[in-house]
Amino acid sequence: MSNPLADMAKPDVIFCIGTNMTECHPVAATGLKKAMARGAKLIVADPRRIKLAELADVYLPIRVGSDVALLLAMAHVIEREGLMNRAFIEHRTAGWEDFRRNLKAFTPEWAAAICEVPAADIERAGLIYGRGRPAAIYYTLGITEHICGVDNVQSLCNLALMTGNLGVEGGGINPMRGQNNIQGCGDCGAETFVFPGSVKIDDVAARDKFANAYQRPDLDLGQAMTKVTGLQECGKSIHAMLIDGENTVVSDPDRNHCEHALKSLDHLVVIDIFMTETAKLAHVVLPATAWAETDGVACNTERRVQRLRAAVPPPGEAKPDWWIIAEIAKRLGIPGFDFQSPADVFNELCSLSPTYGGLDWERVSRESLNWPVPTKDHPGTPILHTEGFTNGRGRFMVLGYRDPAEVVDDAFPVWLTTGRRLQSYHTRTQTGRASGIDYLLSEESLEVNPADAEAWGFLDGDWAIVTSRRGEVKIKVRSTDRSPRGTVFASFSFADVPVNNLTGSGYDPTTHTAELKVCAVRIERAPVTLESAHDPREPENAHAR
Amino acid sequence: MSATATERELTMTLDGEAVGFRAGETIYQVAQRTKKSIPTLCYDERLEAFGACRLCVVEVDGVKAPVASCTTKATAGMVVRTDSPIIEKYRKTLLELVVSENREVDVSPLRGFASQEFTTLVDRYGARTGRFKGRQSGTSNKTDDNPFILRDYDLCISCYRCVRVCAEQEGDYAITMMNRGFGTQITTEFNGRLKDSACTFCGQCVQTCPTGALADKKALRAADLPGEIAKTRTICPYCGVGCSVDLLTKGDRLIGVQPAMDGPANQGALCIKGQFAFDFVQHDDRLKKPLVRQPDGSFKETEWDEALDLAAAGFRRSLKEHGRRSIYGIASGRAPHEAAYSMQKFIRAGFGTHYIDNCSRA
Amino acid sequence: MSAHAAPSTADLVARWRDEPAPLLPLLHALHDRDGFLSEDALRAVSQALRIPLADLFGTVTFYHHFSREPGGLNKPRICTGNVCCLHGGNELLAALKSQGATAMPCAGRCDEPVPVLRGHEQLVGTSATSLAAKPTPLPAPNPGGCEECIFESIREPGRATLEGYRRTGGYEALSKAVREMTPTQLLALVTESKLAGRGGAGFPTGVKWQAVADAPGQPKSIVCNADEGEPGCFKDRAIMDYDPHALLEGMALAGFATGAPRGFIYLRYEYPETFRILERAIAEAEKAGLLGVNILGGVFNFTIHLRRGAGAYICGEEGSLLNSLEGKHPFPRNKPPFPVTHGFENLPTAVNNVETLASVPPIVRKGAAWYRGLGRNAHAGTKLISLSGDIQHPGNYEVPIGLPLKTLLHDWAGGPQTGRTIQAVTMAGLSGGFLAGDALDCTLDEPSIRGKGSFLGAGGIIVFDDSRDMVAAAHAAMEFFAHESCGKCFPCRIGTQRLTERLNGEAGPSDLAAWTQEVRDIGTVMRATSACGLGMAAPFVTDSLLKFFPEQVDNYVVSKEPNNR
Ligand SMILES: Cc1cc2nc3c(=O)[nH]c(=O)nc-3n(C[C@H](O)[C@H](O)[C@H](O)COP(=O)(O)O)c2cc1C
Ligand code: SF4
Ligand code: SF4
Ligand code: SF4
Ligand code: FES
Repeated sequence: MSNPLADMAKPDVIFCIGTNMTECHPVAATGLKKAMARGAKLIVADPRRIKLAELADVYLPIRVGSDVALLLAMAHVIEREGLMNRAFIEHRTAGWEDFRRNLKAFTPEWAAAICEVPAADIERAGLIYGRGRPAAIYYTLGITEHICGVDNVQSLCNLALMTGNLGVEGGGINPMRGQNNIQGCGDCGAETFVFPGSVKIDDVAARDKFANAYQRPDLDLGQAMTKVTGLQECGKSIHAMLIDGENTVVSDPDRNHCEHALKSLDHLVVIDIFMTETAKLAHVVLPATAWAETDGVACNTERRVQRLRAAVPPPGEAKPDWWIIAEIAKRLGIPGFDFQSPADVFNELCSLSPTYGGLDWERVSRESLNWPVPTKDHPGTPILHTEGFTNGRGRFMVLGYRDPAEVVDDAFPVWLTTGRRLQSYHTRTQTGRASGIDYLLSEESLEVNPADAEAWGFLDGDWAIVTSRRGEVKIKVRSTDRSPRGTVFASFSFADVPVNNLTGSGYDPTTHTAELKVCAVRIERAPVTLESAHDPREPENAHAR
Repeated sequence: MSATATERELTMTLDGEAVGFRAGETIYQVAQRTKKSIPTLCYDERLEAFGACRLCVVEVDGVKAPVASCTTKATAGMVVRTDSPIIEKYRKTLLELVVSENREVDVSPLRGFASQEFTTLVDRYGARTGRFKGRQSGTSNKTDDNPFILRDYDLCISCYRCVRVCAEQEGDYAITMMNRGFGTQITTEFNGRLKDSACTFCGQCVQTCPTGALADKKALRAADLPGEIAKTRTICPYCGVGCSVDLLTKGDRLIGVQPAMDGPANQGALCIKGQFAFDFVQHDDRLKKPLVRQPDGSFKETEWDEALDLAAAGFRRSLKEHGRRSIYGIASGRAPHEAAYSMQKFIRAGFGTHYIDNCSRA
Repeated sequence: MSAHAAPSTADLVARWRDEPAPLLPLLHALHDRDGFLSEDALRAVSQALRIPLADLFGTVTFYHHFSREPGGLNKPRICTGNVCCLHGGNELLAALKSQGATAMPCAGRCDEPVPVLRGHEQLVGTSATSLAAKPTPLPAPNPGGCEECIFESIREPGRATLEGYRRTGGYEALSKAVREMTPTQLLALVTESKLAGRGGAGFPTGVKWQAVADAPGQPKSIVCNADEGEPGCFKDRAIMDYDPHALLEGMALAGFATGAPRGFIYLRYEYPETFRILERAIAEAEKAGLLGVNILGGVFNFTIHLRRGAGAYICGEEGSLLNSLEGKHPFPRNKPPFPVTHGFENLPTAVNNVETLASVPPIVRKGAAWYRGLGRNAHAGTKLISLSGDIQHPGNYEVPIGLPLKTLLHDWAGGPQTGRTIQAVTMAGLSGGFLAGDALDCTLDEPSIRGKGSFLGAGGIIVFDDSRDMVAAAHAAMEFFAHESCGKCFPCRIGTQRLTERLNGEAGPSDLAAWTQEVRDIGTVMRATSACGLGMAAPFVTDSLLKFFPEQVDNYVVSKEPNNR
């Protein structure tokens, strides 16, 4: 996030796109609700009539995957009405004229046809955002989990740049990160494109620094491989894998492909706290300590680095992940794994990461700061880009609109979009085992617009078979106004309803983020079997109570 | 220059001492800063001051009746007494009255973060005199079967902190006050179950309740466990907001979670997951020993040494047979930095590649 | 569609959604249509007005008269207030039980008991068979021959119509103000007249209006407090029923003086006929160009919106009233800030009582000095007194401020029933507690009555003769306060309940000293720490009981005997 969470109560205008914030980041959403109680205006763009939509001043139920068209048209309106921040554009950005010329064609009417919302609403959204001082943008996976994820984010940047909403309190563009330490993963370099400190792997100086620090003179310069490619290469060029606490099989798109990939490995080691669907495919499963049993550090979505503390002993012989990884490394003769404590590991990270340079174990145990914290006396950086952008000026990107990888057709006439629910989290390895959660959400269901349900002949609770080009799942139908006509929704949280059997139609060409949000499906009535007569989830859930 | 002039203007007298204050501060806030301990029951510093309990009344020179310090702004030259005998007497009478409307005063601290506030004040003022007997207010809800929040309104004192926190902090507006006067009852729309209301089970009402009338049912399961309650400050394991929490433990048992009121990302807020979904940690399904796959496909428990040797051997074999580009690592977005850092170092230092990624792309 | 078809919820929502202060009228429209407020109706309102459903539900349950059971509107509600229970209210309630009758607190008809609300009507009568809708009793000609301000022309036939009102000088004041005066001159005139609030607090009206005129922010509002919830008060009702245009003209003058373009009348629920009269009067005045835009052809605009409460005494307290108008939970507001700067929708607002506002047109016509001269002993102006209870001629009287109480009781109102003596009277309706014995030697002005330990307030006086049990009277009074306590603040919410229990024997020590100590301690803490006037005033009842009737208290606590009779 460019701005801290505390800023969420401060904007005049809030633009939420592709974020079901009240369910996925409920505590962050409270800030937003406070801003609204103060009179802030809210624009929501989401195919589904989520709770936020009910609070919105302008709600845009855009067709799945049409975000870029909407954003271009909003930019068009802002430009046409002269609502830009000219001083900001002049002093802080580059590429404005090209961008501006390109905008002319993208009228609200043009976008209305693609997004399937009234042009007048797009116009209104453009005017409200354009006039907001400050105006903040929030988004989550709804924006990035698309084949055009990068375009989506770029379009948002363009809006913020042209209105000067970067580097100001209560403004910014703010991705909401999904997992407690997914930000930290990137900070630590556990991401193929970057070293610790978010330095690119094709940066020669950085390569040399790490080659030296890790005593690995032949360390590649560049040559990334994303997880997507990694999985595709399983059994071809990739033969061994170490997976740490990641239920890849359930959370990744195209589950069948994923299972097949992992099964074709010669050697799979999984570190986890439960016997997940992924762990079941491993050759060696190593028990890790869990949250509440592990001392460590995590970084939240606003770049705040915070201490995690152990409060109870782990069960049996479970060990911290870092210890397990270090033990394997030592057995392989990899140098530099003589860590005695999590503090040793963290301090090494700080010594190598420019953004963590001013941090150490002792300091994070005392205070929590937003990185970058370059020096020991630096107070942290709650708002990014107040002075300038890391790479000089903010650059406008000239973009066009592309259809999603897969569009509906006669064989697969319905859009499926996926996401998360408030009560459950990710693949439910945790929430599924917390008592009481079943009281609220004991099974997954397919959310269908009531009119569609009627047209397709479904009553609530009927079983449906949902089929995509990649697979099928059986799931109960629940009719709700949240789904627009022609679009259905399910979450990927329940292992027994492997919705990710269906997804995975494509990847963003730059980041390889999966097109998880959208795919085309067909919905049919499930044949009545003994299994569907009683709840097939019974054994699965029994242990959750 | 002018700043000092204003500063000089903005002083008041608090119990005989001159104190400075900022424009807009209430008497209560000034008193808090100067370490006065004015009692309150309806006050939660995160919420707009409400003025219900009247325990915070103070005497102001020139004003006939005492004023509620929580809702009264400080003004320059104001002369305030916070603890005169007569004010202390009012406070005691008020507390005696409140004691008289409740089933009990002593409740388990497991009920919630603020659950001891009332008990503590009653004892500070010696208000267990048994005076003012009469009907009790509030009726516990015996039909709400939700597994998280006990609605034990026999203990409710109508401070409205729950209703206000739900509206002002959580923004859910799930609960309300039904009826009026002594018949006031905290409840949901149409007096139903929380499950059927706008409630998201964030637990914030529970944590701000000063009497334990709203209580954490999950934590209360450990009420009879022996041992002292200990608290450990950490961060919630779920989404990227990173709410600060205190883990409640008794001995080796993790028994509950309370939000950190001073948590930088959450200021006392949590959602259902952070508040109530903690007990996966000590679930029976946890892996307790290393497991190694057998030729028949089943898993066998082993000792660490053997498992680690086998884990390493597989990578060594792959390295030998297919080269350094045959090994891939996937880190977890849920494990701490130390795990993520070690994972990437394992790949980069071990094999000289960048064949490491995490789940952010899924 | 036939003209008689009930309007759909969507129609009603569309009718009110964009009006100012839409919640109460929309709820009433649905309540009137269905005879109760259904879940569906509340869901629709919640959605239309964007009020969270839980909040809306809580707010609806706050009001006594919103029924949540089918048929509720048509079930009789019988007044069992302090006066009506002296006149058979409880017996009537028992007689109508089979029709689903329930009790209601004082409904403002103490001069002609017992009022019964059923459907859209207020009926009166003392037996089940004699119930009938009757017009409000017209104030009798001034028995003391004193010059009047408010009642001067009220007895003129047809006064409630625009034509009748104009016949005796109606709207001349407005015309004079709009055509010949500046707002500043009007403000000065009202200030000079020494007119003070007649709703209870007695705040100088000119000063209040000046503050509104001076406060930044638009649109400002004039809010007429017509909630008249104080037991034993029914004076505002007489004004509105017989002289509605005087109120409208007064409000328009207030708007002119303060720069407020809009006004609201917040009328108590229990006056359905008054609602219709005001509705008619507003329509007439609008049609005649006396309200609305370009009043009297000039540049002054002023619109009046009529709103109905739903049964809550506390909604007469100005903060609570404003919350109620705004559709919020009707708790009183913390002060400061005051309504003059932060009133309706947080904008400058003058909240004034009906009597206060209706006094303004004659003052403008006849001058400040004239009005000041109506009082006695250096007191300015007149006050309406609602007199009821054990008295020969109950009713509304306009007295010169400073008139001896006994003159009113004995000379004007004929004294007690033959063979009886006056044991006590209440002051300020019930809020001032009792005066008895030597304390009855006072004059009707605040300094004199405050000197006796009570206050004049809104001017309701209930008489108790020597046949009455004063502990029972105190209990009925305290029960009213307990029933009407909003529940916001601890001392009042618990205190009114505990005092009620101590006065009806339900709980409390049986030892006299302990009983007295508890009652005094509760009263002291209520008076000192309550958040609004209700909780501060309620202990006047118990304190005056202890002061004037120690033997009756003694008898009640120790020997559990009823007093007198
Ligand atoms: C509990 C309570 C009830 C009140 N009820 C009324 C009422 O019914 N009518 C009224 O005019 N004022 C009532 N008041 C007084 C109002 O708060 C306010 O002072 C008054 O409307 C101001 O108008 P005035 O200045 O013209 O008197 C009440 C006050 C309290 C504390
Ligand atoms: S748990 Fe949260 S949402 Fe539910 S009533 Fe309490 S504060 Fe409101
Ligand atoms: S339930 Fe608790 S927080 Fe809510 S009003 Fe009652 S005592 Fe206060
Ligand atoms: S004094 Fe009584 S009526 Fe007034 S705010 Fe307190 S509880 Fe409500
Ligand atoms: S803290 Fe001021 S009234 Fe409760």
